[in-house]
Amino acid sequence: MPIAHEPLVDAGHADFLQCGISICIGACDRDLTPTLARGTGCRVAPDRRTVTVFLSATQGALVLRAVRDNGVISVVFSQPSTHKTVQLKGRDTAVAGLQPGDADIIGRYRDAFARELEPLGFGEVLIQTLLACPPADLVGLTFTPCEAYSQTPGPKAGEPLKADT
Amino acid sequence: MTLKVDAIRECLEGVIPGTMATASPDGTPNVAYLSQVQFVDSDHVALSYQFFNKTRQNIMANPRAALIVTNPVTVMQYRLSLEYLRTETSGPLFESMKAKLAGIASHTGMSGVFRLLGADVFRVHSIQPVPGQTLPAPPPHRNLLSALRNCSERLAACADLEKLLAETLACLKQQFGIEHTMILMLDQATRRLYTVASHGYDASGVGSEIPLGEGVIGVAARECTPIRISHMNAEYGYSRAVRESTAGSDWASALETEIPLPGLRAPRSQLAVPIVGGARLLGILYVESPQDLRFTYDDEDALVSLARQLGMTIHLLQMAADASEETSHPVQAATRPHGLPLAVRHFAGNDSIFLGDDYLIKGVAGSIFWTLLRDYTDKGRTEFTNRELRLDGRIRLPDVSDNLEARLLLLGKRLVEHEAAIRIEKTGRGRFRLRVDRPVHLRAE
Repeated sequence: MPIAHEPLVDAGHADFLQCGISICIGACDRDLTPTLARGTGCRVAPDRRTVTVFLSATQGALVLRAVRDNGVISVVFSQPSTHKTVQLKGRDTAVAGLQPGDADIIGRYRDAFARELEPLGFGEVLIQTLLACPPADLVGLTFTPCEAYSQTPGPKAGEPLKADT
Repeated sequence: MTLKVDAIRECLEGVIPGTMATASPDGTPNVAYLSQVQFVDSDHVALSYQFFNKTRQNIMANPRAALIVTNPVTVMQYRLSLEYLRTETSGPLFESMKAKLAGIASHTGMSGVFRLLGADVFRVHSIQPVPGQTLPAPPPHRNLLSALRNCSERLAACADLEKLLAETLACLKQQFGIEHTMILMLDQATRRLYTVASHGYDASGVGSEIPLGEGVIGVAARECTPIRISHMNAEYGYSRAVRESTAGSDWASALETEIPLPGLRAPRSQLAVPIVGGARLLGILYVESPQDLRFTYDDEDALVSLARQLGMTIHLLQMAADASEETSHPVQAATRPHGLPLAVRHFAGNDSIFLGDDYLIKGVAGSIFWTLLRDYTDKGRTEFTNRELRLDGRIRLPDVSDNLEARLLLLGKRLVEHEAAIRIEKTGRGRFRLRVDRPVHLRAE
């Protein structure tokens, strides 16, 4: 009997992706020129099969242009205090405005990221300014993770992501 | 007007880590956090190559990359468009990044994980500010250009080496607010650097040595490149190198001939800058601080410029001294002092000198001292010139261009620090007198 594919992102990873960690979104245009922008929050679908990352459309104009053209995306999530880093890749990325509840997710993300960085010597104002963006400028990039890697610095960096045990 | 890399150097200090996007030949992007982005010049940066990872695979196949760096004070972000050019695995850029990476590794708890395999050099095609909110930048604590100009004028007014070195360290304290400083000169023959002046430590450490290639100071000298580390690091602790050299010496078992190197026990910022005179490395100017990120790229530029002037002035003073030295006065017998005789012991193996049981000095300075004392005891001479010492076959000077003045300065300071009954007193340009206050008894060991 065929078994339905488990989502690449397990419950532990979903918690990690949605906590206050650094998010960076990469894309590549058809001339093979890569680009990137900082993300400001993440929503994992209840079935964990799709992931949405938020960013400023102005800051991420080049990313959005490439993603609208080819749908390919790479997102890195990194926790500054532990260096734990995860990279997800998708090939079906869709660009959309915020859904109800997304503004709250983004607000909570900014507060959590500031709390994460406070012990490392970064002030709340600094982090809130770094992530600040007019609400109307925010968009979401939704994709199905088709590849997932651990990218925590060290010999195991680049290995496919395994479930946290 | 397009931005150049030098205009955004403060973003490359790694306070807020840079991020990088590369792409494989099939157009799949890859994003990585960077531990180090090194300023090379206005059109180039270098990134640390530490692991053979996806980023590495991508740039080998597709040289295009994009970088985001962030100003740690204003949080202004910049997007850089890069093209990979080459990887350096040795030389000044590599060594400078390797030393800096060791600091970053120990600061971030990554010692033993971060190891530099190469310095990947990229051309920067464009730098675009990323639109977004920013914070105001506070005014700088001081104007480094103005500080440099002031120091430059003060150094130009120095007429001898001792004054020049003292003035350099005074300038660093007064104009740059740097409290812990030292100057070391290079001994080409033994491939070691010896301390000739320091400021801000309990003991001056004058005469202490460090081998070429050891620690921040030794690597900066070997590569003749400035090395700047912004966080505390264990790997480049230079005091350890000194202890190891002591342990390896056959002398050390019986006699303590090492002078402890001055220095903070746990510096959090370090900067070693080569002192070049003519076309030769003369020594190293070293500064340190208990504060993280104390020295910036701008401090490095200012100190490199200052050290350059220091080197040229040392070089000019030496040439002027050579030209103006008079021949020695006719030998005149000195009045012999009275009192308890002082035993001066000379070990020919390394020219080390002991006053009684106390180690004084070794090497070329030891050889000079022994020669002076022999002339004093044999012929009653007390007046000497630098020129005759430079030509004296009994002194094993590495070469005629050796900085003899630095050796005499070192010897003079060691005698003062030991409150020895023998002193060196300057009597004119390139001339000095040996003052002996107690009878001396020379013992060749």
